[in-house]
Amino acid sequence: MICERVREQIPECLAGSLDHAARERLVAHLETCPACRAELAELNAVWRGLGSLPDPEPDPAMRSRFLEVLEAYQAGRASGVVGQVPDPPHKWRHAALAFALLMAGVFLGRYVVQPRAANPDIAQLQGQVESLRQLVTLSLLQEQSPSSRLRGVTYSYQMAQPDEQVEQALLYAVNHDSNVNVRLSAVDALEKYAANPRIRRALADALPVQDSPLVQIALMDLLVQLNDKEAAPALRKLAQDAQADSQIRQHAAWALQRMEVSQ
Amino acid sequence: MEDEQVMLDVRSGELGKLGLLFDRHHRALFRYFLHLTSNRAVSEDLVQEVFFRILKYRHTYQPGTRFCAWLFQVGRNVHMDHAVRHKPEVAMPERGWDVRSPDLPPDRQAQSRQEAALLRRALAAMPPEKREVIVMSRFLDLKYDEIASVLKCETGAVKVRVYRALRELNDRFFALCGERAS
Repeated sequence: MICERVREQIPECLAGSLDHAARERLVAHLETCPACRAELAELNAVWRGLGSLPDPEPDPAMRSRFLEVLEAYQAGRASGVVGQVPDPPHKWRHAALAFALLMAGVFLGRYVVQPRAANPDIAQLQGQVESLRQLVTLSLLQEQSPSSRLRGVTYSYQMAQPDEQVEQALLYAVNHDSNVNVRLSAVDALEKYAANPRIRRALADALPVQDSPLVQIALMDLLVQLNDKEAAPALRKLAQDAQADSQIRQHAAWALQRMEVSQ
Repeated sequence: MEDEQVMLDVRSGELGKLGLLFDRHHRALFRYFLHLTSNRAVSEDLVQEVFFRILKYRHTYQPGTRFCAWLFQVGRNVHMDHAVRHKPEVAMPERGWDVRSPDLPPDRQAQSRQEAALLRRALAAMPPEKREVIVMSRFLDLKYDEIASVLKCETGAVKVRVYRALRELNDRFFALCGERAS
């Protein structure tokens, strides 16, 4: 029994984190116990061996990728401010689109600064800008890299009018994107389109098919925020699903309660 | 500035300061994931995911919580989500893990490399929960009370778990050495 307790202290002793008194007791025991001395010697060899394994360094580009996501997130929060979303690197196609968007913006700016009453060109240019935004969003959402798809979701915030193709692309991302972050961001982005009952229905339908508890919680929070009573059956089913994660069941019950309170 | 204060600033909306926490902790987090997944690309993605979750759920950080413990709790959840979606990988990568010991003579260097390879194999073959406590205590230098906070258990339980995991690693390592010798 004494030996067992002493041996449990060996890793702490090897790490140098054992306090002085405990260390003294350990040393005193080791002096009289050859079995524990042997144990210490064996574990010491493995401990030192682990220490000699080098620490592989992550790719230095990881930092810039993270900062890109951080910027995109901040730009998304300040939605509607053109130019804060970072341009996709190394993508001439997107660069060209961004340039075209900029030029359209410049023309639009000129018209706004010098308004001309009932000029049909203004409407046409606004339409062009909107189309370009749609094109950039859809194009980014189809990229291989999760960071690019995240930028695509963020870009969708800048669209003034709901667009069916973008709606569908965001819904597709919620249900099928391999990256949880993209799915979470797409849920947030769809809030803007939630006036459409079809979108609200699709969000409720996405609940049982999600394999990520985080995305399920985000969907439930959005449905509560929208106070979408039609989502109640899906929430009830989830709250009673014995196979669902207990946290998810509790959250579904909470969501139902919130909806009932606000009735 | 302490991590905890930086995180409180992030929580209150100074999102740019998350870059500072990323700089301080992304390597340790990467190492943690690399030992759990044995895959560099996956580990880098998981690190990104942890910091994205921190960004998104920053309001759940409670004042008074040790940032490091909270960070690895988030990391643990991210890895569990990943593990649910993917089969566990145990094969350790061959490149980038060689022991560097230029002071040793060539024959000793070769032996050292061989032992390191066996130790990596033994570690990779450990059950994930045991590998995790070894990684936390040996590679991340987390204190036992911090590990207890991440694993949501008592400090005494961590002490026992680390010892048993190290004991098992030792047995697996010597078994592999025996196989190699025979």
